[in-house]
Amino acid sequence: MTGWSRRSFLGAASLVALLSSAPGGAEVLRKLDPKDVPSPHMRKLMRTVAELVIPTTDTPGAGALGADDFVLVALAHGLEGTRKPPAADPSFTPCLRADGSLDHAAWLDGKLGPDWLTLPPARQSEQLAALDASAYKGETTAAPWRAIKALILTGYYTSEVGGSRELNYELVPGRFDPKVPVKPDTRAYSSDWTAVDFG
Amino acid sequence: MDDNLTFDAIVVGSGITGGWAAKELTEAGLKVLLLERGRKIEHQLDYETEMKAPWEMPFRGQGDTDLYASEYAVQRLNRHFTEFTQNHFVSDAQNPYQTGDGTDFTWFRSYQLGGRSLTWGRQSYRWSDYDFGANKRDGHGTDWPIRYADLAPWYDRIEDFIGVSGAAEGLPQLPDGKFLPPFALNVVEQAAREKIMAAWPERRLTIGRTANLTQEKEGRGPCQSRSICARGCSYGAYFSTQSSTLPAAQATGNLTLITDAAVEKIDYDPKTRRVTGVRWIDSKTKTRRQATARMVFLNAGAFNSVHLLLNSASEANPNGLANSSGVLGTHIMDHANTLSAAAIMPGFEAWTTFGNRPTGAIIPRYRNMDVMDGVGHTRGFSFQGGALQSTWTAGKREAGIGADYKRHLQKPGPWRMVLVAFADCVPRASNRLTLDRTKFDANGIPQLHIDFAFGAEEHAALAQAKADATEMLTKAGGHVIFGFDRPGAGGTAIHEMGGARMGFDPATSVLNKWSQAHDVANLFVTDGAQMSSSACQNPSLTYMALTARAAAHAVSLLKSSAI
Repeated sequence: MTGWSRRSFLGAASLVALLSSAPGGAEVLRKLDPKDVPSPHMRKLMRTVAELVIPTTDTPGAGALGADDFVLVALAHGLEGTRKPPAADPSFTPCLRADGSLDHAAWLDGKLGPDWLTLPPARQSEQLAALDASAYKGETTAAPWRAIKALILTGYYTSEVGGSRELNYELVPGRFDPKVPVKPDTRAYSSDWTAVDFG
Repeated sequence: MDDNLTFDAIVVGSGITGGWAAKELTEAGLKVLLLERGRKIEHQLDYETEMKAPWEMPFRGQGDTDLYASEYAVQRLNRHFTEFTQNHFVSDAQNPYQTGDGTDFTWFRSYQLGGRSLTWGRQSYRWSDYDFGANKRDGHGTDWPIRYADLAPWYDRIEDFIGVSGAAEGLPQLPDGKFLPPFALNVVEQAAREKIMAAWPERRLTIGRTANLTQEKEGRGPCQSRSICARGCSYGAYFSTQSSTLPAAQATGNLTLITDAAVEKIDYDPKTRRVTGVRWIDSKTKTRRQATARMVFLNAGAFNSVHLLLNSASEANPNGLANSSGVLGTHIMDHANTLSAAAIMPGFEAWTTFGNRPTGAIIPRYRNMDVMDGVGHTRGFSFQGGALQSTWTAGKREAGIGADYKRHLQKPGPWRMVLVAFADCVPRASNRLTLDRTKFDANGIPQLHIDFAFGAEEHAALAQAKADATEMLTKAGGHVIFGFDRPGAGGTAIHEMGGARMGFDPATSVLNKWSQAHDVANLFVTDGAQMSSSACQNPSLTYMALTARAAAHAVSLLKSSAI
């Protein structure tokens, strides 16, 4: 990874603007390699994918609230093990970086194909569901999807909307109640750190 | 400040035991210098991430994997290490250590005011005579020169001051303390307790005994059930140096605190055979400073206290200070630690919990007590763990996209239960600390070199722990999905201890029964370094009790001019 440079600053400027409301946003991008600064196409792709994974219902979806920006930054910084070398498979070769890691976003773009963004939403969803099914059946050529989906979930459920509207958030519960009935409207707590870390 | 600082006592290290030494010595009227190698962290004011939500953090609480690889290669493996707490752990890049061939040791450290008292797991257990008598009974290590009766009043004193919540169970292997009201077992754990006890009366699933207040105590607020303790707690609801011992020491007016002071040597006068003070490097100015005192308490953390003694070698003590026996650095230990069993617990789908309990459940030791029923090992193991529900993170492991998947992740997930074993680690001479003569830190001080491996006893204990955990969770109605019988790397339990062991004989031990160096009457080592065996329960409460006891003894010696 290169260090901070004028070039990376310019290249990252649009993403900086998106993250400017998040404290530390600039810090996040401090080490972003120019090659990892996403193109408008890549951002549109990831936004569309994120929204299909967690769609807008009675709360906004992952694409609608921009969880995809987190995904792209997280991929550049190697969260979910994404900067480790992937399994040896020739299908990954075109998307390998110089350090041997897989450019997950480029891989996803290639996997979905050049026309995917132009498909009707139902077809997009169908194809993404097929990729998802392959990945969770353990198919190596689909495996990188699991990390991307994990980061979409993280981007969504650690956002204010995902964490405190879709789920409940209570930083200061004030008490521990060991036995509470589950009701039809019960929602999980994103602030249940044990569940988040170990569940 | 001039460098002719003179005190009654110098305490090196401000963590769990250093805070206690400072409190006890200042309250006895001594003028005390407390030296801390790390930065100052002010209670409440400097807990920078305490109230942050994930969406207020650059990496949403997950942390920057790139940064962790370059700066926190070891610390990131600590279970309390997150983006919220990373500033409470050392940079591994700036604080390197070496390990021998075949040694896999994760040394978790917190160099800051309060040390690891800010990040500890808070589990607080008394040791019993099964523990203090272990070495004598099976011949490993050297016999402890103390027994439970020597320490019981000191455990009382510590618990009274720090506040430990827990349930009395009347178990001889885990003596009851002076407890604040316990946190409750959750609905699944309560059922498991009953089913396990019905099948095995000697196996007692109970709530963890934790240094979190369940009632207000002397200006400290009760626990708010956040379970984010390692960020720092402005309520002062868990025991830390900042919340508890430091204010008490400062209230005496007898304490001088200097942070950013990395002690490199203890000064020794061969004529009097006494230590005379310490030298340190001011890590901000890179200048060397010193102070003198009538006695020194080492509380730098087990391995760093040993490191300091080894690095204080002199013409009079060529193998290190207080090391005429040659055993300094040897017989280090850490609990052999693994996830013995994890199970899905069906039948509780109608129930959930509210709030985050800051402790799990435990099953105290039940093997090798009055009947030697361990298979291939002579000591004990205990379990920590509990029942928990999964949440959105479980979605990472599940196929699915779309609205139904989102709805599914909105609900509290299925119940699981885990039992994590902590097995007694036999003291061995081959597990030892030395100075690396070829690698130095930024101040030119030799790095610590760790040689460590678990042996047949620990592996046998964890094999039995896995079998036992599996049968208990099954009996409790669970479906066991996996479990392990191999220990994690040394250091995983964060109970590294030993290296300056206590014993009767100056020829085979470093410290006497008062945590006082056999060789140097005014030198006390009261952190984990003093331990002669490891038991299978968390050691911090015992370190604290030994510290308070040693401080009282030291004060009496000082007042009678014996030192």
